[in-house]
Amino acid sequence: MIVKTPPPHGGRLVERVVKKREIGEKMAAGCIEYDLKPTTDPKGVPIRHVYREIMSVCYGFFSPVEGSMTQNDLEGVLNERRLENGWVFPYPILFDISEEDLKSLDVKEGDRLLLKLKGQPFAVTDVEEIYKIDPLDVATRTFGTPEKNPEVVREAFNEKHPGWVIYKCMNPYVIAGKWTIVNEPKFKEPYDRFWFPPAKCREVMKNEKKWRTVIAHQTRNVPHTGHEALMKNAAYTGDIEPCHGILVNAIIGAKRKGDYPNEAILEGHEAVNKYGYIKPSRHMVTFTLWDMRYGNPIESLLHGIIRQNMGCTHHMFGRDHAAVGEYYDKFATQILWTEGIPSFGFEAPPNEVDLGLRIIPQNMAEFWYCPICQEIAYSESCGHTDAKQKFSGSFLRGMVAEGVMPPTVVMRPEVYKAIVKWWKVFNYPFVNNKYLENLDRELEIDLPPMEVPA
Amino acid sequence: MPHYIGIILDEKRLEQVKGTPVEEKIQPIFGGTLKMLVVEVPDEKSQQILKEFERARIDSRGFIEDVPVAFRRAVFEEIAKAKSLDVIDNVLQRLPEIQELAKKEAEYIPPPEIE
Repeated sequence: MIVKTPPPHGGRLVERVVKKREIGEKMAAGCIEYDLKPTTDPKGVPIRHVYREIMSVCYGFFSPVEGSMTQNDLEGVLNERRLENGWVFPYPILFDISEEDLKSLDVKEGDRLLLKLKGQPFAVTDVEEIYKIDPLDVATRTFGTPEKNPEVVREAFNEKHPGWVIYKCMNPYVIAGKWTIVNEPKFKEPYDRFWFPPAKCREVMKNEKKWRTVIAHQTRNVPHTGHEALMKNAAYTGDIEPCHGILVNAIIGAKRKGDYPNEAILEGHEAVNKYGYIKPSRHMVTFTLWDMRYGNPIESLLHGIIRQNMGCTHHMFGRDHAAVGEYYDKFATQILWTEGIPSFGFEAPPNEVDLGLRIIPQNMAEFWYCPICQEIAYSESCGHTDAKQKFSGSFLRGMVAEGVMPPTVVMRPEVYKAIVKWWKVFNYPFVNNKYLENLDRELEIDLPPMEVPA
Repeated sequence: MPHYIGIILDEKRLEQVKGTPVEEKIQPIFGGTLKMLVVEVPDEKSQQILKEFERARIDSRGFIEDVPVAFRRAVFEEIAKAKSLDVIDNVLQRLPEIQELAKKEAEYIPPPEIE
């Protein structure tokens, strides 16, 4: 059976970016103004910026979501991972605001609010509803509990889980309503060359790359050879032939301390095709702005939606997908995409339910180095289980931090060079408080100056 | 259940354990492209390490990872000194000093010079 590019999730791609400057200026004129602020953790470290969600919504990555969720949407998502209109969506997307800011804005339903970023007009929100949330309740219901979601949740979420902390640290009021970007941002280097919003990505894959089938690879990491083996082998799936393309889509935003900087992740993956480990005609690196929530099966739903919207036909899911710690079963994502998770609203896999996803999952087991086969082996093929040498991201990070260059069999030298390049820029190989503060100050974008008529 | 700490040996470290009883315990990994010493850590001591360092965790291989570089360095120093892998108690005695070094390390780690 020939596999075709799936339609966008929700039926059409959301595109809420005003391209004509004079229209943007008119939309912003006379609005109440608000300077967007980051979400900070209890120590004051920035861990999320809603601007990234505004970008991902308005450029269509999160289609069919069009803005900050209403209370009905929020409850639908928390109860059964569905928007009020019935389409599957995993995470609350919220423009949260403090009581103090809400009072000083004096905004009400029906108003248009101008959201400013780095001192410039950025987007508007047409206020549909203002309501109160209990951030702790939102955090807990977003990720689940061992009692309510016994199929896959193994430990209660706590302060060590970065995604749970993001929701718990949100402000108690939500301004719901559609967002529109009125002043289109410009990406800085190196982000600019990896920016392929869904409409553009679909066009490039179809018309330039000539890919009919494309498998998505989720990443928040610089690639080691285990990731490379995953990509190459998962891409053997397809229909009557292996997938034509491999779309790497990195999640870019504030990350947990100890992860690699965004810039190194993008250039590390780029090195894989630039130096021919997977040729560029088959491999393309892109990103989505999102402050990662590390929600394993819940995150995998978002990944499926993003990549379906980008035009991918397949999505590879590995063990411990988008996970941190041991909060979820190691195979939670694969359980979701194999049989569903009823307590999260899925009696069947998310690509087999009404108003669900249409991307095809490709669940993969593990890759390890086998000293007997003397190659990177697939766990379901290699019979030398006792001899296996597993790829461990943390083991590699430890090696990198000690200044030891990983051997080629583990990491390509050009990928390591990308790490060192950005290490020299930030004086640190990984995300730390300083990196997060700098990222919050600089962001990934610049905004052109815009004069708004009074 | 015991956990493990893996210490990667570069040429300088290899030189320091050459000719000692530890040399026999060197494990080649990834086709011999890396050499490693593996220190076994009893459960109660691995729990102490996890408590001491905020980001420390046990990975899927049962190894204690995401510990500060200063911690690994201290483990190797104690191995070289004792010429044995039975060093975890000595390392734990040095925790206050390691914590101080780890604080500095949270801000700056010198990048390697590579071409």
